[in-house]
Amino acid sequence: MAYYPEPVARLIDALQRLPGIGPKTAQRLTFYMLKRPPDEVRELGDALLAVKEKITYCRTCFNVTDEDPCRLCSDPRRDEHVICVVEEPNDLLAMERTGEYRGRYHVLLGALSPLDGIGPDDLKIRELLARLEGRETTEVILATNPNVEGEATALYLAKLLRPLAVRITRIARGLPVGGDLEYADQVTLSKALEGRREIS
Amino acid sequence: MQIGWIQLVEFRNYRTLEFSPSSHLNLLTGPNAQGKTNLLEALGFLLTGRSFRTSRLSEVPRWEATSSSVAGEICRAEGGRTVRRMIRKLDNGGAQASGDTCEWARVIAFGWQDLDIVTGAPGARRNFIDGFAGRLYPGHLATLLRYRQILARRNHVLQSRELDAEAQLEPWDEQLVSVGMELIGRRRKAAAMLQTELGRVFPALSGVRQKVEIRYRTALAEATEAAEMLAALVRLRRVELRRGVSLVGPHRDDLAIELDGIDVRSFGSRGQQRLIALALRLAEVLPVTEAAGSTPVLLLDDALSELDARVRQNVFREIDGAEQVFLTSPEALPARRAACWTVRAGAVLREGDADVARGSVAQA
Ligand SMILES: Nc1ncnc2c1ncn2[C@@H]1O[C@H](COP(=O)(O)OP(=O)(O)O)[C@@H](O)[C@H]1O
Ligand SMILES: [Mg+2]
Ligand SMILES: [Zn+2]
Repeated sequence: MAYYPEPVARLIDALQRLPGIGPKTAQRLTFYMLKRPPDEVRELGDALLAVKEKITYCRTCFNVTDEDPCRLCSDPRRDEHVICVVEEPNDLLAMERTGEYRGRYHVLLGALSPLDGIGPDDLKIRELLARLEGRETTEVILATNPNVEGEATALYLAKLLRPLAVRITRIARGLPVGGDLEYADQVTLSKALEGRREIS
Repeated sequence: MQIGWIQLVEFRNYRTLEFSPSSHLNLLTGPNAQGKTNLLEALGFLLTGRSFRTSRLSEVPRWEATSSSVAGEICRAEGGRTVRRMIRKLDNGGAQASGDTCEWARVIAFGWQDLDIVTGAPGARRNFIDGFAGRLYPGHLATLLRYRQILARRNHVLQSRELDAEAQLEPWDEQLVSVGMELIGRRRKAAAMLQTELGRVFPALSGVRQKVEIRYRTALAEATEAAEMLAALVRLRRVELRRGVSLVGPHRDDLAIELDGIDVRSFGSRGQQRLIALALRLAEVLPVTEAAGSTPVLLLDDALSELDARVRQNVFREIDGAEQVFLTSPEALPARRAACWTVRAGAVLREGDADVARGSVAQA
């Protein structure tokens, strides 16, 4: 039985741990990398390190950012009376692409997911409550995904925020059921934003 | 609607097959294990993208092959459509289906497994009513899938034994009751339609006048509002937390099917049980035709075995009113106005005319 030299095995192993990459793809990528010029590989390595070193989460909205607070949180032209709550940074980007929304964001960094052991304490919910305290926020838009986890998260938040004097809305289900916000086209998404409703 | 032609490649024991069936009754006869049921499965797969006999599509590609493909033309009064579908085996032992979908295509299939509707556990009757409701209301199966997702997560919370499990249940309760009552509502409507039609179909097949009753059985009695199901959940909270399972909802319900007030589960004769199952399938035809705006294709696998000659004639009379029908049988049957085909070793030949459909013989 032949084994890969240690550095090869190490890269295959590391790549395999990435989401959506199985053993075969990890091998293919590794041998592809071996064939590329050193500069190109160094650029990839640098990019990987830079993303970890230079990018952090905004301590206000928990979007990914290279400055804290992030550009969206420090932009004075954005309406600070409205906060749109999303699951992940890529959902925020999808919202921004509609060009319709001028308020602020709050990224939960996940959704309630019993099967993955993710409960309320694992999400940026306490931080959301802290943001709402004493501020003049008038509306919270719950823009979690329309799948069962996203819906559970929205229902949980609606109940939690009900005692506060803010309007709570949920984006409409123009979105494909069971789909991900990230993959929705812009028309669908702006429709959903337009049709948001009170959630009791 | 009807299938104008179908072409199979590496599907079960068919290496290749081209088949242009009659637009009315097609009789497929031949000895056992020749490919009669496989052909019905392929016809159903062309129309719906599902198999009526298995949920494991990885069984379908011919043993030596890694994929199957099915193509064909589906016709209705408003015009036809050519559909192509594939099944590809995956490394992980599963399979992936892809290809065109035809939203208006409907199939009603009867097979050996349908005996379970009459004699099996409640789950078999839930599958039956959900299949029927899915043919009536296109959103039903997506709702069912969503319900199962919610249920799995809710049960997980119930089993978590965390101190705040009760608080964590709330958002799952709310979804369970709204989606659950949606399912129950559609199942009740489906059961009511079925009862009306079965009241006509069963006596027409058996030749005996009997009162037919189908009742949707649920712990929620007559409840129609999500709030009523929520109240039931709250009442059962302690027990559910102790046992770690969800105790009310459409996943626990059943259908009671009665003839002259007697539950059909207690009927002894297999012939009679099979006749009831067949009648249930045929009772789907009219409501599905009305809901879909066009007649479903009927796939009847060995539907006449264990029935006596008089009942067989009644079945022929009943399906004469349908549009396209495929009926398999191990022996020749005395049917008028039928196209007769012989199925042998993965080939389909028109009786007395070897050129109409030709399939190359799969190696054994
Ligand atoms: N994936 C497959 N590849 C090749 N042959 C298969 C496959 N699945 C089932 N078969 C064969 O098909 C035959 C059964 O065909 P079937 O249509 O059920 O017969 P019948 O004519 O009795 O209805 C059996 O010989 C079985 O071995
Ligand atoms: Mg068979
Ligand atoms: Zn920010």
